[in-house]
Amino acid sequence: MTRPTPRLAAAAPRMPADQRINSDLLRPLTETSWRFYALVAVFGGIVLAAIVAWLSQVTRGFGITGIRWPIYWGFYVTSFVFWIGISHAGTLISAILRLVNAGWRRPVTRCAEVITVFALMIGAMFPIVHLGRPWLAFWLFPYPSERMIWPNLRSPLVWDFFAINTYLTGSVLFLFLPMIPDFAVVRDKSTGRRHRIYRALALGWRGTPRQWHRLETAMQIMAIAIIPVAVSVHTIVSFDFSMAPVPMWQTTIFGPYFVAGAIFSGIAALLIAMAVLRRFLHLEDYLHPVHFENLGKLLLVMALLWGYFVFNERLVTYYGNKPAEMAVFWRTQRESFAPLYWTMVTGNFILPLLLMGIRRFRTITGCVIASIGVVVGMWLERFLIIVPALGHKYLPYSFAVYRPQPVEILIAGATFAAMTLLYVLFAKVVPIISIWELKAGAHVPSALVPPATQEHPLGELHL
Amino acid sequence: MDRRSFIKLTAVTGTSAALSGCGNPAAPLVRFVPDEDIMPGVAAWKPGVCPLCAAGCGLTVRVMDADADVVRNGQAGVVRILAAKKLEGGPMHPINQGGLCARGQAAIQVTYHPDRITQPLKRAGNRGDGRYEAISWDDALKEIVSRLDALEGVGNQKALAFVARHAYGHRAALVAQFLGRYGAPGPITYELFGDEVLRRANALSFGREQRPTFDLPNARFVLGFGADFLGTWNSPVAQGHGYGAMRQGRPGIRGAFVQVESRMSQTGANADEWVPARPGTEGVLALGLANVIIGAKLRPADAAGRAGSLIDGWSAGLSAYTPAEVERATGVAARRIERLARQFADTRPAVAIIGGPPLAHTNGLFSALAVNALNALVGSVEQPGGVFFTPQLDVVAAAKLQNVATTAPPPALDRFAAGILSAGAAPPQVLFIDGVNPVYAAPSAWRVREAFEKIPFIASFGSFLDDTSKLADLILPDHTFLESWSEAVPESGATIAVASVAPPVMSPLHQTRATADVLLDVGRRLRRPVALPWQTFDEMLAATFGALPKATPDADTWSDAQEKGGWWGTLPAGLAAAAAPAPAARPVTSAEPQFDGDPQQYPFHFLPYPSSAFLDGSLAHLPWLQEMPDPLTSAMWSSWVEVNPATATRLGIGQGDVVEIASAHGTVRTAAMISPGIAPDVLAMPVGQGHQTFTRYASGRGESPVPLLAPLTEPATGALAWAATRVRMSRVGDPDGRLILFAGGMREETETRR
Amino acid sequence: MPKWGMTADLDRCNGCGACVTACHAENNISTVGADEAARGRAKHWIRVERYWEGEFPDARLKFRPVMCQQCDNAPCEPVCPTYASHHTADGLNAQVYNRCIGTRYCANACPYNVRFFDFFNPSWDKPLHLQLNPDVSLREVGVMEKCTFCVQRIKAVTIQAKADDRPVADGEIQPACAQACPAQALVFGDLDDPESAVSRLSRSSRGSKLLEDLGTRPSVTYLDRQSRTDA
Repeated sequence: MTRPTPRLAAAAPRMPADQRINSDLLRPLTETSWRFYALVAVFGGIVLAAIVAWLSQVTRGFGITGIRWPIYWGFYVTSFVFWIGISHAGTLISAILRLVNAGWRRPVTRCAEVITVFALMIGAMFPIVHLGRPWLAFWLFPYPSERMIWPNLRSPLVWDFFAINTYLTGSVLFLFLPMIPDFAVVRDKSTGRRHRIYRALALGWRGTPRQWHRLETAMQIMAIAIIPVAVSVHTIVSFDFSMAPVPMWQTTIFGPYFVAGAIFSGIAALLIAMAVLRRFLHLEDYLHPVHFENLGKLLLVMALLWGYFVFNERLVTYYGNKPAEMAVFWRTQRESFAPLYWTMVTGNFILPLLLMGIRRFRTITGCVIASIGVVVGMWLERFLIIVPALGHKYLPYSFAVYRPQPVEILIAGATFAAMTLLYVLFAKVVPIISIWELKAGAHVPSALVPPATQEHPLGELHL
Repeated sequence: MDRRSFIKLTAVTGTSAALSGCGNPAAPLVRFVPDEDIMPGVAAWKPGVCPLCAAGCGLTVRVMDADADVVRNGQAGVVRILAAKKLEGGPMHPINQGGLCARGQAAIQVTYHPDRITQPLKRAGNRGDGRYEAISWDDALKEIVSRLDALEGVGNQKALAFVARHAYGHRAALVAQFLGRYGAPGPITYELFGDEVLRRANALSFGREQRPTFDLPNARFVLGFGADFLGTWNSPVAQGHGYGAMRQGRPGIRGAFVQVESRMSQTGANADEWVPARPGTEGVLALGLANVIIGAKLRPADAAGRAGSLIDGWSAGLSAYTPAEVERATGVAARRIERLARQFADTRPAVAIIGGPPLAHTNGLFSALAVNALNALVGSVEQPGGVFFTPQLDVVAAAKLQNVATTAPPPALDRFAAGILSAGAAPPQVLFIDGVNPVYAAPSAWRVREAFEKIPFIASFGSFLDDTSKLADLILPDHTFLESWSEAVPESGATIAVASVAPPVMSPLHQTRATADVLLDVGRRLRRPVALPWQTFDEMLAATFGALPKATPDADTWSDAQEKGGWWGTLPAGLAAAAAPAPAARPVTSAEPQFDGDPQQYPFHFLPYPSSAFLDGSLAHLPWLQEMPDPLTSAMWSSWVEVNPATATRLGIGQGDVVEIASAHGTVRTAAMISPGIAPDVLAMPVGQGHQTFTRYASGRGESPVPLLAPLTEPATGALAWAATRVRMSRVGDPDGRLILFAGGMREETETRR
Repeated sequence: MPKWGMTADLDRCNGCGACVTACHAENNISTVGADEAARGRAKHWIRVERYWEGEFPDARLKFRPVMCQQCDNAPCEPVCPTYASHHTADGLNAQVYNRCIGTRYCANACPYNVRFFDFFNPSWDKPLHLQLNPDVSLREVGVMEKCTFCVQRIKAVTIQAKADDRPVADGEIQPACAQACPAQALVFGDLDDPESAVSRLSRSSRGSKLLEDLGTRPSVTYLDRQSRTDA
């Protein structure tokens, strides 16, 4: 095979030698500092507090939240949509970048896929957390009951159930499959109980060409299949809103708008995760500034896309001039919710444009700042879709103001702690950067590997 | 979820096996044998009479089986009883004709109230502490009897005072008879929102000393002066029923309604035209209309007859009341006066209604006489679509009793209190309180509480501990209306005579006794017995109802009445309350209303008004009424003061801000409610909250405007001029959560056009 | 099969609120208390909306009783994941408390905001519980509740009529609100019977539906309040 041209060398950064890769990426599994325990204790404590809070909500009554007539969705549904949105990180990075053979994806794929799985798990909890009678949540599952009654397939919430479960299943697969060779590496390097666990996880991986071929084929199929699933999941989540005749909810733009926003927030979450990992696990040699720059450029594109959707939606609403819609429009943009609205615009649009658009600011720090802004902005965007409209529908006598209560704030906030906790625990047991993929990028694969995964140097076209 | 404890709310099976599942095997639930024959699950409908206001609406009560927690012989247990479940308006009753107001619906909570006094109580601590111990009925009655005997022994029977709510009817007649035969003065009645001024005006104008009845279904033009006749005034359900018919009950004919007032009431909100006028000038406005009608020769002046002759200058055409003059006095434009006058005279039948704030001024009698004259002028007195007077049963005559000449007519409450507090006269020794709360509902300037505290012995018959009854030394709790014989002889609301009566709907829940029966019992036990011909109250009712005209020759009026919920029809002359004799009255000239408080220091007129939920505060203990959103403000569990928007802006007061209102007699702090329906120099505050003591639902809740009221009275009747107080207002602070509103927006336009 | 409907005559309604309390009494609606009412948890299945117009001295005020409109095209029905909100053959939107898991989607979808949530288990200070209507289920925490057109009364009369082998007479069924209203502003009946009072009133030229252009096809017709210049 020809050696990579200098152009490609810029796209696929040079990685350390194989031996160092193993030792660097396996170190978190074998060495544990006090910081790990402190982190787990703190975030675990927050998560525990949130669980206790939710249990008190179940036993004392839903009334301890700030939900009220007629604003019946608040922090919980905001968190739900937000975390499902974050989960699109993995899809974009892993699947799309995998399909277009972007080599620079290699160190970041697993980071992204992990975000997806955990964000989905956290998000998928909220349909249960926000129920009035959560002990009956199993009625959402289609099982033959003695009452001959099934879930209502016309309800977007039932679609959510199927879509999220499908996506979760797919994402777990998508995460797990490429972990197999890495489990094998750990298996081979460990002894005792650890050896037994990883041997079970490695599913008998021996690294034969046939197994590699199967793995790559499976990854290819998953990559292609997971994209429409992801698009449909967040579209279906958006249907939770657009299927109700609430002013500013009933708009056709919600499907693509939510998907774009999801990818947007996913990239931001990924950038933050990468930056943190790079610092705390000393992965400076693996996560190079160019990775952040490339993702930063994607963040910029998504910010522009987000801005486009918002502008589109608001301009059309403005021209439509329907009284009920305009009332919610102004409520968000100019009246009581204006501070939150303009914070959202700053975080989602102005900051990314400045920081990611100006080359000088497109550093790792710049990316992190922009990403934090996007995460805040996207959370606010979900909140601002839900709450201002519900408090201001059609009959003014029934308008009201939502005031979130400690239990909701705690649970919503604890999701961030939960995400961090799960991430930290995951990084403790699985190499956070996919070892074999990294190595595969440095060594161009053999002829037995399916052609589609070959990286084609410029100037040679194989179709 | 512990469903078992949840289901316990509706049915208790009462076996210890079931209970061990509930986790309490040590105290098995005893099920007593029911006292009555009960078919489970089958509802029966029984007649009833609503006691909450003077209207006396007839009820039909749904009765079904229920399990009540009772204590029998010191043992707690459960017994199946027939329980009232729902109150509805009696469909055939001439007053309410099937309808029932929100308060009437909530009346059932009186019977089932958790803080009802369940047995006789004797004071255990200092007066006013609210500490009592239970005693038996025997002991309680012995105490009463000994006190009354003591007074009689020294010939001091007139030292017995009795404070009651003003009511016509059998109970009031019984009380009067008891007092009269005992030798005590007649009962002192006190109603904060009573209509003494209107009664006096009707006596003068029409010879009928009673509240008026309006034939709204046949009216084509209704002109209201301040009367909240669809909400809280006079006979609201009857009037509401009539209003509906007036508007849409006649194909092709819709009655018009104009309301004149300084603060938009719930009634005024329904007007086709709402006319704000300065407080206390409504009578002048009425005469301005009369001036135009007479001047334009739409009606001759003498058409107003006696009612017109009571107004000085009437026969000369009321030259002092030209539209220009009246505009100057009232603030209503002259052009508007002319137009309204013509519409009022040309649209027949037309009727004018005056009540509430206009009569609560020092010139209230004048205003009432003016409106009476206006009605007489357009020929709407005792004519279809006009004003009528309900023939009233003379209970004393029907019971074939003698009218007891009391030693002296009882004083009004303020003079009664003043008399006690003045060093001169000897105070009463014994005070009975029956169904009134004057400590709450009287202005603090009258010092009713101080006066009562000087009386050595106070007994209360009420079912609840309230601001007044907590001063009692002895409490003999009455049954509630569903548990005893209830009756009413309505003063207004129908054009035929009505006497409502209903047997007890259910057995008493607690160890209470009907006050009427207690009085009869006490009367028999006295050393010098009060000789009344009945053992129990229902015997008195049987006697009076038996005297009423029969529907058919062999009908039994008494049993018919018990089935129907009353008797109604035409009274023979001997049984109808007599018309008041024509007074030798001099024509009344208009007097400027007097207000208490210097206008510089106290720039606002203060308008306390009966709240839709609680009227004069006597219903604040009912939780449904506390939670019912006020019709105008949507407020629940709250007090507020209504402020004009421009005034609020001028004083920097925002919606919900805490403000302090001060008169020369008291201050109150409450939440401000910005309201477009009130004049800039008027502040209105609903009466009803602000009880210190009145069950768990009302104690310490909200604020009352009553303590601020100036002790100004209407000179002829002595009635409290409760709209005559001036106040000042200042902002105290930001909203503090005391104002609880159900509604969000106040206006329908969600957004202005851009 | 009857199709139940109501008319609300805004010219008769004077805002007294009798309907509100009557509904509480009939349907075992728990009183939530001052603190919870302040947090927006009061459950007034029927409410009398009031709207100001104009400014002093030309201020005007309108009343409008609003209850569940029992929409033919109810937006609350497709969105309920468990079929707790569904349409019956006689034109009612039924709320099955036992099937509700409390997602509250139906309440968000309802443009009239007539659906209420039980935020806590209801409680009645004894012996207020003796007043409870045995014909109406008590709702536990976490379920949605709303006006049912007093379905218990509909059922009771329908069953009795069937037992007596006769049709239900017009006006025989009266929801609690309609029965209490002193001004007889609320009329209930069978819209499929063209001669019933509710049908005749629904055809009035004063009649309109609330939020008609949302396409919910409510079963309640509001008869406009007239002004003096009208007939």
